[in-house]
Amino acid sequence: MTDTAVALENITKSYRSGFSRERKTAVEGLSLEVKSGEIFGLLGPNGAGKTTTLKILLGVIFPDHGIGWVLGMPLGDRAMHYRLGFLPEQPYFYGFLTAEKGLDLYGKFFGLKREERASRSAKLLDMVGLRRGSHLTLDKYSKGMLQRFGIAQALINDPELLIMDEPSSGLDPVGQKEVRDILVRLKEDGKTIFLSSHQLSEVENICDSVSIVNRGRPVRQGMLSELLAVEGTTKVVLSGAVTAARGRFIALARHVEETNGDTVLEVGSNDVYRVLDLARELGLELVSVEPSRQTLEDLFMEAIR
Amino acid sequence: MRNTGILALNVIKDTARRKLFYVVFLFGVAVVAVSPLLPAFELGIRPQFLKDISLSLTSLFGVVLAVVLSVNQVPGEVEGRTIYNILSKPVSRLEYLLGKYLGILADLAIILVIMGLEILVLVSTRAHAASPVIFQGVFTVFLECAIIAAFCLFLSTFATAPVNVFTTILFYLLCHVKTDFLHKTLVEGTNGFLKVLAWPAYYLLPNLENYNISQQVGYSNGVPAGYLLRVSGYAVLFVVIFLVLGYLVFRRKDI
Repeated sequence: MTDTAVALENITKSYRSGFSRERKTAVEGLSLEVKSGEIFGLLGPNGAGKTTTLKILLGVIFPDHGIGWVLGMPLGDRAMHYRLGFLPEQPYFYGFLTAEKGLDLYGKFFGLKREERASRSAKLLDMVGLRRGSHLTLDKYSKGMLQRFGIAQALINDPELLIMDEPSSGLDPVGQKEVRDILVRLKEDGKTIFLSSHQLSEVENICDSVSIVNRGRPVRQGMLSELLAVEGTTKVVLSGAVTAARGRFIALARHVEETNGDTVLEVGSNDVYRVLDLARELGLELVSVEPSRQTLEDLFMEAIR
Repeated sequence: MRNTGILALNVIKDTARRKLFYVVFLFGVAVVAVSPLLPAFELGIRPQFLKDISLSLTSLFGVVLAVVLSVNQVPGEVEGRTIYNILSKPVSRLEYLLGKYLGILADLAIILVIMGLEILVLVSTRAHAASPVIFQGVFTVFLECAIIAAFCLFLSTFATAPVNVFTTILFYLLCHVKTDFLHKTLVEGTNGFLKVLAWPAYYLLPNLENYNISQQVGYSNGVPAGYLLRVSGYAVLFVVIFLVLGYLVFRRKDI
């Protein structure tokens, strides 16, 4: 297995709008790399070029410039489709098929034998919680059920790489949590997941690395832990309030805040030991010391500004 | 090519779901309704008339059906986004287009065979004459529909449905007046502009009058096997041309 699951280099894609000769750029100079076995999140506001990027990966649209590889194969290589699964945003399926028949149809495209299709379908319908509704035709499914079916069909070939456009779209909070759990489980099984999402909390919870795109251009990318880390700042959490010595801590820390009965201090890296010494001197219990992190929402808003 | 068969079968299932196969009942009603209007009905229907009019109706129904079945196969899937779940699987665009076309052909074959049987029963019961030769006519209608469907599917890879329907109707009419009106315009016409317009239509379009053998089926013993073979080859040629053109447009089309 190659270490890189997806690589794009300097991808540009523009569309002609209507009869006008003017072209609208959807993606411009996008380069990214997704390592095998990680969950990668592609973030951006509406119209940022996320869906265009996914379609380029799938070979349903063609870039104007740039090159890319999926699972070591050049973009558009038919062989890569045997090894990937795709969940489109707001998935639509043949409404006249039941979930079982639908999975059976998609399984046929991979050349799976009848028994294998049946056993995989049963397993997947269990996994996404659709076993009870499997006899209904898909046109009777709710948006959330269709999303679950979409995930099941994306997994019918047991793919190495999953490309998902808004995997939690249309799901209630319970459904969103279940999808997150499924994605984490799939990652544990060694699969690579490339998802685009608006749900920053979802991405923050499960993604290893991200790329934030805005107006077709990449504006931030890298490992999520590194992107969220606030350079040169450490977060120290002490148990209990520090009311009496608050002034001494304020002199050492950049920010002091009391949350849920604990005291959270943002400390410059050079002052960490001094804060810890003071806490020991005052007999305060240390809860944690870790690099300060901003939220993904903060990073996102700053990146697209 | 396994995927082509899967997709073709799916087209048939979709046609059944859309209840388009019910058109055969409509056809039966139409033929029965028209037969009393035939000349000398009160003296007993003459099988020749009945065969002639039934085949003309078959052609009309077949062509309309070919357009209805073909016009939305590709744009409908793009608009409904179901195409993404197909092309993200190991399905090539050629297989996709061929699967759609073969599905349409299978639909047409099923419907036309049932229509042929309806005519056979009608002619046998009303005019007391068994005429299996009617299937020669049904076969040429099928060939004509195959060309129309291929043309319409080719257009559907880039044109909107209204433009497609209008163009296909124009195509159908031009292909039927090719040997008559277009030929006269070219040979006897004096208007240079019309001649320029008529030239490509005359030389490039198929002659669909080849497939109108209702007179021969109605009033004689049909056409020789060699004729059927020739017009079959002619149909295959144009079907291949339109499908190749469709594929050339579709293979690099952004979806």
